[in-house]
Parts: sequence; C-alpha cells; structure tokens
Amino acid sequence: MKRLSGVSARSPRPAPLRIDDIVEPEWVEWYHLTPTERWAASERMWPTYLDFGGTLDPEPDSQSPFGDAVAPGSRAPDGRAGLRLVRRSGV
Amino acid sequence: MGGQACVLYGGVEFSRDADLAIVTDPENLKRLRDAMTDLQASVVAVPPFEGRYLDAGHAVHFRCAQPDVAGLRVDLMARMRGVAPFDALWGRRTTLSLPAGAGPAVEVDVLALPDLVAAKKTQRDKDWPVIRRLLEASYADASEEPNAARVDFWLRELRTPELLVECARRFPEAATNIARTRPAVALALKDDARALEEALEVEQARERATDREYWAPLRAELERLRREGAT
Repeated sequence: MKRLSGVSARSPRPAPLRIDDIVEPEWVEWYHLTPTERWAASERMWPTYLDFGGTLDPEPDSQSPFGDAVAPGSRAPDGRAGLRLVRRSGV
Repeated sequence: MGGQACVLYGGVEFSRDADLAIVTDPENLKRLRDAMTDLQASVVAVPPFEGRYLDAGHAVHFRCAQPDVAGLRVDLMARMRGVAPFDALWGRRTTLSLPAGAGPAVEVDVLALPDLVAAKKTQRDKDWPVIRRLLEASYADASEEPNAARVDFWLRELRTPELLVECARRFPEAATNIARTRPAVALALKDDARALEEALEVEQARERATDREYWAPLRAELERLRREGAT
C-alpha cells in the first residue's frame, strides 16, 4: 500500500470502491479517456449537434448572473465552418 | 477556462462557446482588441469591452462574424469570485498539446483543475453536476497514483458521497485534518451517508448564496448600463 508524506492509508481496508460501481457507464468511459481523446470525441459531436438544430448561442439560463445582458443571436449560417476555428485555436 | 476546459478535464462532453481568462493591462487589451477585430467579433451585450468593467468582475461577451467562425461566442473575464488573480492562475495553468485535427496541432493553456472547480462554484444549477464530474474524472484518472496534493484536492472538493467516504477511508490522516474545516469530510469518516448528503447540500447552498451576493452589485451595474443603452 502506498504511503505518502502526510497522507497515510489505513491497512487492511475493504476492497476499494471503483468509479464503475457508482457512475453511469457512459461517464465511466468518458472519465477514462485522455484529455486529447476527449477533445477529439467532443469534436466529433459537433456535426450531430448542428444537424439536430443546435446553435452557438448560450442556452437560456435564468440563474446566469449575466441575466438577460446577453442578447440572443442568430444561428451561424454554417456552424461547421465555425467549428473548424474552434479546433484550430484549441479553445 | 470554462466549458472547453471542462471537456478536457472530463466534466462535460461538449461546450458551444469559448471562455477566456485574461489579464487587463493596456498592452494585452490592445492585443485582444486586434484579435477580436480579426475575428470580426462584436460585443453583443453590456458591458462594453473596457478594462474597468473586466477589472470589476464583469464578463464581456462577443460574437464572431468572420466566416470561418461565424456565430461563435467568446466570453472574456479577468476576475472570478473565489478564484486567484490572473498571475497566480497563469503560473499554475495546465498546458495541453492537442494533435492536428481539422487544423494544425496546438498547445492550449487551461485553468488548473482546482482553479476550474473554484470558478464553477456559481449560483447556477448547471455548474454543480459539472463540479461533481470533474472530481469523479480526477479520481478515476489518478486514484491509483495518489499524492498529497491530489488527496488534499479530493478531500476538499469531492461531491460524490460514495467517493468522499472512500477517499476518507483510504486517507484517514489527511481526512481528519480536513474534517476540521469541512464537516462533510467528518461525516464521510463516520460513513454517515444521509448526513453527508445533507452536508454537501449545505455547502452548495452556501456557495450559491455567496455567489448571488457577490453578483448583486454587478447585476445592478449591468441593469444600469442596459437602461442607459436603451435610452
């Protein structure tokens, strides 16, 4: 059992809880991806999101501290083109 | 700093905008203005893009019109409640190298995970499941390789009762120390599930109330700016 400076682990202990035991399978899979894999997977969602009518505007959120300060906007005429810059800039 | 960072850290699967934490010295504001000009981005709401509003804690909201990024929203913030100043954030940022996809390979700088979690402690319902998932992802990723900093972070921030109990059980010495300031950890040590869930709800309610209080004068200022803009 690993013992760390200022961090001790009790021994013996019950079988460790696994994240798979308490989290939905789709999230377990997501958690086990690397950041780069998550980024690529998120990229792949964009076409589906846009095909189903998704927009680049913020979702309505009555709890946002910005309130209605953010004016609604029009949909991007070609959201996929916009996505390419998101990929390039890595934001 | 926001949704895209949450994607990289595993807290969400998708984000439709780009949030940037910035420094507001005149030189950097000029660079940002030039970048926004390149993106044909315009401010879409109050406040205007001025350093004094960013320094006060407001977000400035842009929408891009440049054809390659038409419609993309970019939000800028320089100060966030409960989050360290920019210089400290920059000093401990995470830099990720993303391989070439539709564009060239890039390096991106994102908030360190603890700073991202701090930034997500808002008044909004939607941010709290994200915090829980960010911690679950961190625990899933590194629970086999704990170190003092990770254990401290998990014990201070985990919001999944079962994992907090597990973490307290694995690291009782650290948990006992943190339990002095986080009642939820004391209850995790006792494996008192019901009381632990209530304690986590109390934590959340307190943070959300604090966030609403923090934003009250800012919202009033936004309202004033909106009225002035309408007249």
